This record gives sequence, C-alpha cells and structure tokens, in this order.
Amino acid sequence: MTTNAHVEKKRLENPPSTIKFKIQRREKEGAAAHWETFEIPYRRNLNVISALMDIRKNPVTIDGKTTTPPVWDMSCLEQVCGICTMVIDGRVRQSCSALIDDLLLASGGDTVSLAPMSKFPNVRDLKVDRSKMFEHLKKVEAWIELDGSYDLGPGPAISNETAQERYALSRCMTCGCCLEACPQYGDDNYIGPQAIAQARLFNMHPVGKTTIDNRLNGLLDDDGIGNCGNAQNCVQVCPMSVPLTKAIYETNRDITVNALFGWLKK
Amino acid sequence: MAIKFSNTFLLRKLHQITGIVPLGIFFFVHMFTNSKAMNGAANFDKAVKEIHDIPYLLLIEIFGIFLPLLFHSVYGVLISSEAKPNVMNYGYGRNWFYMLQRATGIFLFLFILFHLLNLRFGLIPGLTEVAVAGNADKAFSIVASDFQKTWVLIVYILGVIATAWHLAYGFFLFAVDWGIVIGEKAQKMTLAGCAALAVLLSVVGINAAFAFRSPCGLMPKALCEAPAAPAKAAPAGPTKF
Repeated sequence: MTTNAHVEKKRLENPPSTIKFKIQRREKEGAAAHWETFEIPYRRNLNVISALMDIRKNPVTIDGKTTTPPVWDMSCLEQVCGICTMVIDGRVRQSCSALIDDLLLASGGDTVSLAPMSKFPNVRDLKVDRSKMFEHLKKVEAWIELDGSYDLGPGPAISNETAQERYALSRCMTCGCCLEACPQYGDDNYIGPQAIAQARLFNMHPVGKTTIDNRLNGLLDDDGIGNCGNAQNCVQVCPMSVPLTKAIYETNRDITVNALFGWLKK
Repeated sequence: MAIKFSNTFLLRKLHQITGIVPLGIFFFVHMFTNSKAMNGAANFDKAVKEIHDIPYLLLIEIFGIFLPLLFHSVYGVLISSEAKPNVMNYGYGRNWFYMLQRATGIFLFLFILFHLLNLRFGLIPGLTEVAVAGNADKAFSIVASDFQKTWVLIVYILGVIATAWHLAYGFFLFAVDWGIVIGEKAQKMTLAGCAALAVLLSVVGINAAFAFRSPCGLMPKALCEAPAAPAKAAPAGPTKF
C-alpha cells in the first residue's frame, strides 16, 4: 500500500448490534494477568481507542461485575507517536488506527481481543514500559556528535538517494511493533531491528560515519545483530514502513567489510 | 575505537561458515557419490573404494566433517532453543522459513545420528551390522539390503529433502547475514535460486536412494546405459577437409 494512494474503506454490511472486547487485565507489574470481557453497542467508525473510551465510561464486564476502568496509553491518535501500540486479535499494531470494521471483517466474529505487548514489562492492563528501546538507542550511540566550541559551518552534502533512505529510517517512532513480532527478540538476548535501523541511520550520515566503529561495537555484543534470525516479521509489521531488513543487511555488510575483514587492511 | 567481537557474534559466524564450507561441500560430494549407484553396484563400490584411498582420510574425516558437524549441530540446537516461533499470528513466508530452518535442523540432528550409526558404524539393531566404511567391496549390497525396507527408504528420503532445504536456505541466510545480498529484489532472486537448488539436490538425492533398489533409480534407463563403445577408427584414407 503506497502512502498517498486513496484507500476505499471496507465496511461491515450487516454489523452486529454489540461488539465484545476481551481484554487482558493486570493490576500492577508482577501481578497475575487475567481476562475480562466487555460489551458495547456497535456504531460506525469505531476504532479500538474509542471503544476503550466507551468501556471506561461504564466498566462493567459481560457477567455484570463492576471492575476498574482498563488502563492504556494514547497520545497523538493518528499513528505517529506509537504509544498506543498493543496486541489486537493476536497481532501487534497501534490501537488508534485499528478500525473495528476492519477487525471484524478480518476475524469474521463479533469479538476483539486486546492484550499488552508481551516483550515489554507490563505496567498495568494494556500499558507497557518501553524504556528498553531507549536503552538500546544509547547502546548503539544513535546520535551524531555535532557540538563544538566554534561554528563548524554547513554540514557536508548528502546525495538525494542517501537522504531519501535516511528519511525512511528516520520515520521510526519507537513503537515496539518490530520487537513484539520478532521471534528472536525477548529475554534481553537480542537488541532488535529498531536499534539496528537507527544505528544505520546515523552510520549513513557523513559526520556520523566518523564514529561508525562505536555503533558497530554496540551491535557486536552478545545481544547484537548476529542474533537476527531473518524471520523478517519486523518489516512486515512496521506501521511506518521503515526498511528494517535492508538496514540490518546493510549493517551486516559494514560489519563484514569493516570489522570481520578489517584486519586485512592492516 | 577498535572493533571488539563478542563470543556470541563469533560463534554465530562460525556456525554459518561451518554450515556452508565443510558441510555444504560435503553434502554435494555425498550426493555425487550416491548417484554413482545409478550406474550399478560395481560403480558404487569403486566410488567408495576411491574415498577410502583419499590421503589423510582420517584427518579430513575428523577436522573436515566430524568436528564442524558436531559444532554446527550442537550450536544449532542451542540457537533453535532460543526461538519464540509465532507463525500462527504472523504467518509470513519468511517467518515459516525461519521456523522450518530450526525444525529441519532438529530433525537432521536426529537423522544424521541415525544415519551414522546405521551405515558408518553398522550399529542400528535390525539393520546392517557391517559398516560401509572399511567394506568398500560390499558397500552397495549393504545399503541395498537396508533400503529394501520401506521405512528405511522413507527415513532417508525425508533426510535428503530436509538436508537439501536446510542447506539451500542456509545459503540464503549466509548471503544476507554477511551483507552480500541486501535489497528486497536481490533477496527475492537469491531465494528463488536457493529454492531451485533445494529441488535439484532433493531430486538427485532421492533418485540416488532409489538407485539402490532398481538400476538408474527413477530416471529413464537410457541415462545410465554405458556410452556406446566408440566406433572403430575410420579406415585410413585421405582426410577430407
């Protein structure tokens, strides 16, 4: 799907009168998780967040039990901040852009299941702590040293091709979809595609190139790029179409040339 | 800043190299030798004899085959144990291949163990008690008598298909993990080439297995007929240009 193509929205022809939401609940980090089912009236153009807002107004389960309102994260509501990411009907995505009609058309039922991402610490209900991804960015030094004590003048020119590729990589919103869908990621044994792609973004910059060894070192650790299993789920689920696998393989080439066979230059 | 490699990274790279260079080459040679059974028992026995006559054979066996195989299989099982397969929710082709690479790996761990005990050492009860190794003159008849049992033939056919796929997809994984193949289009072409190689190796391997049951295996007999003796030299006469 290209970003600027007009997409005709599919609609349910005979929508159910009510929709059920099966939500994974957890009171606090470390507490046991359980499922609760809620039911709300169907209306046109519902998305998962607006449905959750309806549930929050009257948090009574399908069995008539009054419970706490479900907790989730949200901010931009237009799929650019990434914070409302959760596992919807078994697949990770942003809840703001998950339309109920689409979900019911895909599942063929009248129930939507919501769970927090499983690869991050679950703070409460659908809310997770994604600070691991920030730690990963620090580990690969995903920045460029630009500060000087004097004016450094204009930066070096970048070819249009490189600029376009860097722009694609820079769209990452650190939502965590790629890590959730990655069969290798988990238990802190793999840094994951998100940090690799950001390392690549800064390795492609003419100034960033001067410190490429630092970033490659961050990726050559025990949890590094070598643990990629090439299942390529990351690039399939990325909501921002970041060329994640290309970034991984370009970095593999950098490592092969600069690191593995670096000794041949000495 | 100097580059520092972690042990995990180096072991992964070693795992990839051992899969391609010693084991990959060995599999090609193995299928080539097996295929000699198509041209008859004597031909196959001669091929086994020729292997026995390779200089430094024991060292090649230990350092070129056994140690790489041991490392590749044990470390491979370790890698597989770290996987958290999720093909039910993310049923993409490459995700299936990811799982299949691990599934074939674990199957091959068991299959190769069986294969070695059976034909290299002759230790599987109920099957041959004479090892092929060291008995080149009986090589064909040993294999042929075991392959008469349908279940043995099926196990070996599954083993050949699993090895062919594991190796061919391994070439693809090597290409992307070493940064040789990068873009999506290049990946698709490489994958198509690897799939074709998997089919080719499977066909050759399966046919070689059937060659122990009937001459030339499943291929048309014409393929295996000895080439017609060269026609007698033309009677001497003026050479025409």
